[in-house]
Amino acid sequence: MICKMGCVLLFAAVVAAQGGGGFYAFPDRTPKTAIEKTVAKLLPSLVKVHGASGLKTIQSYSTGILVSDKGHVLTLDLILIQEERTKVVLHDGTVCQVEVYPADETYGVRILKIKDEDLKKLKQPLVPLTIAKEQKHRNGTFVVSIGNCFRLAEFSEKLSVTLGVIVSRMRSGLRYHLQDVDYGGELIVTDAPNNPGHYGGGLFTVGGEWIGLNTKIVESTETNSQVSAAIPTGELIGYIQRCITRGKAGAVEPERAVKVVPVFHGIELFDHGRRVSPPAYVERVARGSPGRTAGLRPDDLIVQIDRKVVHTCKDFNLIMEKYKPGQTITVTFKRGRKVSQTELKLAEVK
Amino acid sequence: MSHTLNVVAATLLAGALSAQGSPIRYDFAAMQNVLHAAMDKVGPSTVTVQTFGGTRKTDAKWQPKPAPTPGAKKPPGKKKPPPLGMSGFAQSHGATTGIVLSADGWVLISKFALNYDPTTILITLADGRSFTAVRKGEDVSRQIALVKVDATDLPVPEFVDPKTIKVGSWAFVLGRTFGAKDPSVHMGVVSATRRVFGRALQTDAYTSPANYGGPVVDIEGRVMGIAVPMDATGRKANIDLYDSGIGFAATISDIPQLIEKMKAGEILHRGYLGIDMDHSHLGPGAKISKVAPKGAAHRAGLKKDDVVVEIDGVKVENSFHLQMLVGIKMAGDSVYVKVRSKDEEYGLTVFLEKVPDAQMEAKKPADKADPDRLPWEEPGKGDKRPGGVPDK
Repeated sequence: MICKMGCVLLFAAVVAAQGGGGFYAFPDRTPKTAIEKTVAKLLPSLVKVHGASGLKTIQSYSTGILVSDKGHVLTLDLILIQEERTKVVLHDGTVCQVEVYPADETYGVRILKIKDEDLKKLKQPLVPLTIAKEQKHRNGTFVVSIGNCFRLAEFSEKLSVTLGVIVSRMRSGLRYHLQDVDYGGELIVTDAPNNPGHYGGGLFTVGGEWIGLNTKIVESTETNSQVSAAIPTGELIGYIQRCITRGKAGAVEPERAVKVVPVFHGIELFDHGRRVSPPAYVERVARGSPGRTAGLRPDDLIVQIDRKVVHTCKDFNLIMEKYKPGQTITVTFKRGRKVSQTELKLAEVK
Repeated sequence: MSHTLNVVAATLLAGALSAQGSPIRYDFAAMQNVLHAAMDKVGPSTVTVQTFGGTRKTDAKWQPKPAPTPGAKKPPGKKKPPPLGMSGFAQSHGATTGIVLSADGWVLISKFALNYDPTTILITLADGRSFTAVRKGEDVSRQIALVKVDATDLPVPEFVDPKTIKVGSWAFVLGRTFGAKDPSVHMGVVSATRRVFGRALQTDAYTSPANYGGPVVDIEGRVMGIAVPMDATGRKANIDLYDSGIGFAATISDIPQLIEKMKAGEILHRGYLGIDMDHSHLGPGAKISKVAPKGAAHRAGLKKDDVVVEIDGVKVENSFHLQMLVGIKMAGDSVYVKVRSKDEEYGLTVFLEKVPDAQMEAKKPADKADPDRLPWEEPGKGDKRPGGVPDK
């Protein structure tokens, strides 16, 4: 991803040429094009976040987005945030101390609240962003991504802007630094470059709608390639609103009791692998079981369950863990050269 | 319709190029509609390719360390540990993309999908129908493969003549990997044409397993090429070239005769002459410095210190020119070579061969230890479990 730096710097230069205040040395310029206007409108709502990190591999900086005029800043829960060391730098260069709210475990985001004494000192009112109403933009929609990549901007310097399109929406396994990430939600994949420090910044349409929060660069287990992705803002509304209305206490979500009930399908797979799991060939189907009723036979290759691909026996078992007894699943299987589908009603284990 | 599309594209390009000041409007809404129209035109022809089974091949550069044999001396010097995540990196089992070539069930995919030598290939069309596919021919030099499904009335895209493609025109790479209804799209421009001896075009849109096998589409929704894992020399690309902005797309509409050969099940390779050249000989002609034993040139009778003057009637200017002239050819083609040997000129016909595997692939390690084998199953140790208890 570092090779994309050139592109990033180019756009940074474009942004740097416009607006600006404080001791920033370059002259102002009124925005002219659609992107320039959008960026000029958005920049006051984005802040630089500096945390404390003693580790080489973890950046101590990221970007945040103002979500309320009371000083709530949404950022990605990446840096080792310590309450007394964390600072937020507003677009005009003002440095503010923040209060750290508990993070949202599901999406890995965190709200920081600018301290009240710092809020009183501000000369200009804060400009919060609102979440876009229209969330389902088509693939191929132009987007701009704004963030403080590689901490190139300090104090009142302008953040970097990258341009791209929405590549796709993805719901696949993710990996970060060779470790699997437990994130079950949807991600917006873009080809707008995303680099360290850009994390926590925003993904906007060219019209200026806020549609995503940039994540760290993760690897998709589907493709083994890195993806620049953003969490759709629609998924974060609940956490943001709880934090704004109920403060620190609202950030912690009430625990939901999850009870795992094993399901019975009566299908035994030909799972002979020791380290590498083999394809999901059916070895035998128990008499009178849901699998037998569905018409599955030995030597069928199970290919998909509810449009989810089953590459190996391990995949089959993992997918089955997510179902409950009584649910009906669609099994796509291959017999000979023919691919067909059947409905299978899962039962309880007796 | 196509005229208006061109005007919009031209305006946008002009807008992007004029650096500052001039009041050219960026009409992103119009551009978006044009892009979506192109996606709607080609989208139905893109298919998802899923593979099952097969051998798990990793990069040949790194293999698991063999168990140390007792009494053997340690080799001198420090050995670098293998870089994690680069070589030795297994390809994932995820889906790739393919494109319909003809309505009667011929589908073109990238060779990347067949790296595992899968037992089953499943093609899912844009409308949701699934078929198992039969492997047919391959073109190793273009990293493409042809498969056949039992379907009729498939939507066929429009292909562009590669000669009309201009550098700097828009290029969008479509993929169907993430399982959504809409194809995924990466944006870029054509960086260069006639790369890899006229086999591919280069684009700066990101290519990776997410869109290998997918079509590279122009602004009017016509297919310019197929995104393939290829590097500048035409070899299989490694993970370093994923999403790097250096992507290659094999052009298709200029090779109808090769497609016919692939339909018959042939596996095509690049033509290989089997000579080394003296690059300090600046021409005219290319001086041979080495002739590979039992290679095509050796068989035809080319000798060391001969100077190749002409290939198929074209005067050879220097060694690089000769590479360009021979690089276009496929294995099995014949070339008429005119050679000057000690002030005496004669012509001969060389039948090109495929590049020997040893040159294309990295050297395989001598020890082919099975990574799945447990210590007591090592050959020569007997089928005994630790502790001397015989296996029942």
